[in-house]
Amino acid sequence: MSDIVDHSRRQFLSFAGKAGLTTLVAQAVGINLGVVDIVRAQTGKRGVEPFRFAIISDAHLYSMPDHKFDQQLADAVAQVNAMTPLPDFVLFGGDVAQNGTEDQLVKGNKILAGLKMPLKLIPGEHDWYLDMGDAWRGLFGDETWSFNHKGVHFIGLNSILVRDFWTEAGMTPLERMTVMEMLESPIPGPWGVHEKQLEWLANDVKDLAPDTPVVIFTHSPLWDYYPRWNFQTSDAPEIREILSKFDNVMSYHGHVHQTLYNRIGNMSSVAALGTAWPWPYPPVELAFPETRMNRADPSIATDGMGTQVIDLSGSFEGLVQYKPFEDSLTPFMRDGFKV
Amino acid sequence: MMTNQMLKIERILAVSAAAAVFAAGTSWARAPFTDEELAEQKAALVESIALGYDLWHGSRADMTTNGLACGNCHPDTAASNPQTFPKYMTMYGKVIPFREMVNWCIENPQAGARLDVNGDDMTAMEAYAFYLHRGKEITPGLASEQTTPIVVEYGAGYARTPTGVGVDTKP
Ligand SMILES: [Fe+2]
Ligand SMILES: [Fe+2]
Repeated sequence: MSDIVDHSRRQFLSFAGKAGLTTLVAQAVGINLGVVDIVRAQTGKRGVEPFRFAIISDAHLYSMPDHKFDQQLADAVAQVNAMTPLPDFVLFGGDVAQNGTEDQLVKGNKILAGLKMPLKLIPGEHDWYLDMGDAWRGLFGDETWSFNHKGVHFIGLNSILVRDFWTEAGMTPLERMTVMEMLESPIPGPWGVHEKQLEWLANDVKDLAPDTPVVIFTHSPLWDYYPRWNFQTSDAPEIREILSKFDNVMSYHGHVHQTLYNRIGNMSSVAALGTAWPWPYPPVELAFPETRMNRADPSIATDGMGTQVIDLSGSFEGLVQYKPFEDSLTPFMRDGFKV
Repeated sequence: MMTNQMLKIERILAVSAAAAVFAAGTSWARAPFTDEELAEQKAALVESIALGYDLWHGSRADMTTNGLACGNCHPDTAASNPQTFPKYMTMYGKVIPFREMVNWCIENPQAGARLDVNGDDMTAMEAYAFYLHRGKEITPGLASEQTTPIVVEYGAGYARTPTGVGVDTKP
């Protein structure tokens, strides 16, 4: 296992080198051990060099050998590796595992190691609640991070933290995990990033100029979409407040397993398709209903799943393109949309 | 001001009016159910829904060989569209009932063993899915759009005794 840890860390450090960063500094504050280039962080959006990055999300791997979801994640890796031009790096949006076991996370790490480009991850609830993130951290490092790439400041937060419901109830780790596995579980209540990460975030961005392009990455959306299914982050208003000084913030998230766009203030919000299965659209009105995909056809085994790629321009505009495994997109969504 | 006597008379009149309406085309096999009987019937329904809720979330091992349960893709029974059946499904090439759709999902995405279509477990699955679509318009044949269940404000979606764990403490 230790060489897998080394593999993932080495890969990320070498990515930072390839990206032409001049200064590698392990941030001294809080829980961040990410890579930061202070010089570039202060140049603002005039310093953006156009590039693309891809997102893979929600693999939900089971422990059985040769499970169909293994192949679906492998297909996502192959799809990203075949993109032209190649994305500079890949973000994984959480829920590598279904039941949070180490073997599932190790399997995910092995499949994702097939990517030609570096990878950064944030955790989902399915990765976390068996051992409270021990195996995940061992494989993928810290769950709270930031780095700069070609003039853009990237931030990752762990958004799936809930209040302790298990200690008083005397639940085992397995029972706790089982409660968290059910999307509509009435027990855990709404989750969020909580105080420590809010402080970290405030500190992380305090010296950045307002014209700095910022991308924030979480498992759940940073707006109240459908709280019953935790299609929300309870302290999203605080996060948006901390980031309100910036001209433009892009939020990308997993967890909802569907195409979706929203905008609140200076923050645009884009959801990722999963590689395991699509979630239904919940019974709420959407501000941008045209960003929904077609209803998934259950007779097509991988309909409503896939990957996504985002091209960032020199003026920090993003072209979001969903890359479904099947023909899942409406004509509006087919050629991508600007954020 | 209305006296008790007047209220009683009004009630008698209302009952006889209703009886007259039914007498025209319908006859009762028995007197209407008592409150106690209705409560028992409701309890029996809730018991079936509760069994369906458990089955939907993976309580019966032979319904899957790959770990998937109905709830993986259908939280709160969303996108199961029970009120749109019977309808034509491409995988069968013909019109099928909701129960057959349930069995298709068990046998295909879940790679499990189909349920007896007349068994209590299948009735329970149907009870849960339909209960979460109560009041929705019945639209047989609608196949191109995902419909939504009722909005579940709290709990499991039916009158379940709360577990008392976490935020699930309200009746
Ligand atoms: Fe997920
Ligand atoms: Fe999730």
